[in-house]
Amino acid sequence: MIFSYNWLQSYFKKKLPKPEKLAEILTMRSFEIEEVKKTGKDWRLDIDILPNRAPDCFSHIGIAREISAITGLNYQDSSLILGENISRPNGKTKDFVSIEIKDKIACSRYTARVITDVKVGESPKYIKERLKVCGLQLINNVVDAANYVMLETGQPMHAFDLDKISGKKIIVRKAKKGEKIITLDNNKYDLAQDILIIADEKSPLAIAGIKGGKNAEIDNKTKTIVLEAANFEAKTIRKARQKLKLQTDASLRFEHCLDINLTEQAINRAACLIQEIAGGKITQGLVDFYVKKVLPKTIKLDVAYVEQLLGVKISKKEVIKILKSLGLNPAKSGIKLKILNIEIPTFRLDLSIQEDLIEEIGRIYGYERIKPVFPLAVLIPPKRNIDCFWQKKVKNILKETGFTEVYNYSFVNEKDISVYQSNKHKTAVIELENPLSAEQRYLRPCLISNLLKNIQKNQKLFNEIKIFELGKVFRSGIKTGVEEKRMLTGILTGDDMFYQTKGIIDSLLNKLGISNVLYNNCKELIHCSQKCAEIKINGKGIGILGEISAEILAQLDIEKKVCVFAIDFEKLQKHCSEEIMYQPISLYPSAVRDLAVLVPREIKVVDVLNKINIAGKKLVRDVALFDIYEGEEIQEGKKNFAFHIIYQAENRTLTSKEIDIIQDKIIKTLEKDPEWEVRK
Amino acid sequence: MIKIHMELKKLEITARKDIKSAKNLKDLDDIFKKYLGKKGELTLILRSLKNLPIKERKTQGKIANQIKKDLELIIQEQKHKLQASSFKIQDTGFDITVPGKKQDLGHLHPLTLVRRKVEEIFQSMGFSVVEGPEVESEWYNFDALNIPKEHPARDLWDTFYLKQKKLLLRTHTSPVQIRYMEKNQPPLRIIVPGRVFRHEATDAGHEVNFYHIEGLMIDKKGKVSVANFKAIIGEFFKRFFEKEIKIRLRPSYFPFTEPSFEIDINCVNCLGKGCSVCAQTGWVETLGAGMVHPNVLKAVGLNPKFWQGFAFGVGMDRLAIMKYKIQDIRLFYGGDLRFLQQF
Repeated sequence: MIFSYNWLQSYFKKKLPKPEKLAEILTMRSFEIEEVKKTGKDWRLDIDILPNRAPDCFSHIGIAREISAITGLNYQDSSLILGENISRPNGKTKDFVSIEIKDKIACSRYTARVITDVKVGESPKYIKERLKVCGLQLINNVVDAANYVMLETGQPMHAFDLDKISGKKIIVRKAKKGEKIITLDNNKYDLAQDILIIADEKSPLAIAGIKGGKNAEIDNKTKTIVLEAANFEAKTIRKARQKLKLQTDASLRFEHCLDINLTEQAINRAACLIQEIAGGKITQGLVDFYVKKVLPKTIKLDVAYVEQLLGVKISKKEVIKILKSLGLNPAKSGIKLKILNIEIPTFRLDLSIQEDLIEEIGRIYGYERIKPVFPLAVLIPPKRNIDCFWQKKVKNILKETGFTEVYNYSFVNEKDISVYQSNKHKTAVIELENPLSAEQRYLRPCLISNLLKNIQKNQKLFNEIKIFELGKVFRSGIKTGVEEKRMLTGILTGDDMFYQTKGIIDSLLNKLGISNVLYNNCKELIHCSQKCAEIKINGKGIGILGEISAEILAQLDIEKKVCVFAIDFEKLQKHCSEEIMYQPISLYPSAVRDLAVLVPREIKVVDVLNKINIAGKKLVRDVALFDIYEGEEIQEGKKNFAFHIIYQAENRTLTSKEIDIIQDKIIKTLEKDPEWEVRK
Repeated sequence: MIKIHMELKKLEITARKDIKSAKNLKDLDDIFKKYLGKKGELTLILRSLKNLPIKERKTQGKIANQIKKDLELIIQEQKHKLQASSFKIQDTGFDITVPGKKQDLGHLHPLTLVRRKVEEIFQSMGFSVVEGPEVESEWYNFDALNIPKEHPARDLWDTFYLKQKKLLLRTHTSPVQIRYMEKNQPPLRIIVPGRVFRHEATDAGHEVNFYHIEGLMIDKKGKVSVANFKAIIGEFFKRFFEKEIKIRLRPSYFPFTEPSFEIDINCVNCLGKGCSVCAQTGWVETLGAGMVHPNVLKAVGLNPKFWQGFAFGVGMDRLAIMKYKIQDIRLFYGGDLRFLQQF
């Protein structure tokens, strides 16, 4: 909010610190100053008033009060003596205008004054200058005065032309169905039924607490005005301005709540100011609708608690001095006690518990005067977070495998959804109520789509890309509304990367202490149906790996082939184990024999491996596939597998005769099927 | 007997000469075969010993075996010599300026690195690491944190709402404070790293999703104060930036803390002298904090008469930006490998 330095100075007899210095002091003790800018002979201070202090500090007087508390300089409230027109008996305010409040919750106080015989014209120079510095538009002396008093006291005001009010009656009520208003700036608004308005007997005159209407506007011919200073409920105003999308200086103040006792002070001040700058006569008395008088409250402050919470000893004398400087008054009788009763003026709506008071003491005392001290606490070792442990481990393994970690947005667009999701999945996607753009309309149901975009972006710059992300994905769930889970997804570019990807998964799972891994055929839309597998641990699916289909790559302008793996991290984690058991290294040498077998095309490696292992039993320590061949030199419909078979016993050196016997047994087993032929 | 002895001596002398004069490994191998191979001269002599009387066989056998061992040894020595000299020839003119062969090591995201560092520092001070969901209810994200409905304070957090069931994307990781305190009794010390969301336009300093670390320490009344918070957070910054960092507390407002403050640290870029990073002020706003509001304690069933504590929230992206001198927060989520592979 913008404040005028000269205006603030006008409340002090002594000179204020220079603008820059004042900004620094306020920043450290009250509110951050965003900017200090010289404008003419004045300075604009852009003060970031904290929202809880809006009721008392959205005003120059409020800031002057802060400055006074911090600097110790005395400030003077410029309240004028009210010059009511007592000499003429017919000049009673209530004879000019009557008010009726239909909604006593939305409007808990309504104060009005009437001024007759005003001369509408230009405002004096000092008012014009101050309003300009604060960024307000100049209208005429009456409206400017109302605005001026708002900036001074924080109380929004409104002035009506009494002669334009039908029936001379002001009614505060909720809008009726179909009611409309044209505001002062010539905009037309349809009023919903829960919007509070100020009306006369016929039609709406203003949107309460937000903006005035054309109907009773002050113009050059206006002679008699009605001034309004009211207290409207914050919630009502907030809802209305959200609905109308109309934020004003008045609505901003009302929706942060205001001191209900401020209306009287402000309206008197405004009446005097108008009389001073626009002439006219103030009629006698205040028309005041005030449901329930609010009195200052008392907060009990335990002096010992001040030290307990702040961690610094501040004497009771200093505590009292600080509180008094802010206008908070300790009851005299309580001064000797350990518990102080502090009377809180009604303008400090933010103070309700003793912690609030301790904050006031702390900030005025100065946080920099609190010396850092390490806490004395019971030694409780931090708990180990096993989730985080495995996340860390998985990231490390993939990094060691040469992957680069990426973080993508949690959002995807319509196209992403339609490309990757089957119809069944589409309905499970979570849509945002208020997306920032169409690009970010949905929560990501998988990590693949954004990773593919990463590939698209980087493909021109890097030959081989290996990236992964470990992050949350979202789908709608039956029980909880939204199911979120952590996925581990990686992408590799290059031709025929399937087996390499599979090898990476094998190494990853091995490092995570998982052994019983199986790959099943599966069909996922995103993949080429042939080159796609489901990854299973102990028979339970934990994810998939496969190549991305050519159609999708074409749609995304990706020129290279791409292989992907996607693992449900929560499921994976259940199988992870830190246990490593050392296997004794055999003291006896191993021997390697090669074996090549010609089998029909549809036979899978795993079938051959199983047969070798079963026939060879314990003495076959390992079988390694080193070549698959099909094509020329081999009869059609067949392919050739070549293996290294490693033989080893735990308790002796195997003789070549022994090995021959097992190898023969394996060969016989393989050749039981007439279609299989071991090549010698 | 003497004949054999002489023969052995002669053989040893010529063999030694041959070995010494071997010019390459092939020659040496031939020499080995000539004397020690299956049909080698020495092998033959050794084999012929079996025809001698037992006493003589023993003495001559001993000598012959000794010669065999000696020859094997010097062949081995000669072999090493020849190998070394052949390497020497290969190594001359070796160009050490040829670029090293690149090893393809992977890269962790800078925010992962920062998170690990932060976790390590706080764990060493007794804080446990806790996580929570990214989709939250209004209760955990706002109400339980003393941010009532229809309160202007809610505007401090621009929020993404979901179409489903009044759910939202958490605007801070503070809801996890509540979730944790509901299940765990104090005294407690936790930090909560995680992704958070803000409904605001993106620019170099703002993102729709970013990372937060929330901290919370609750202990018996009088055991944990603003002074204690200053010590913990000061130690954190010192260890994080690996140098002395000045901090300052400014008054602030958060509904879930009272008193509340904003923590500025000395600009790491200019060390407080004033530069473009800190808008010439020398200070950078890094962290919001305060003493836990009694209403928050009440919301989780703790009695504020017996417990008190501090809480803080820090943007991890901002820490990373300061640590690595990154100019634009959007780089973290752009997936540009030219950026990511620098870490």
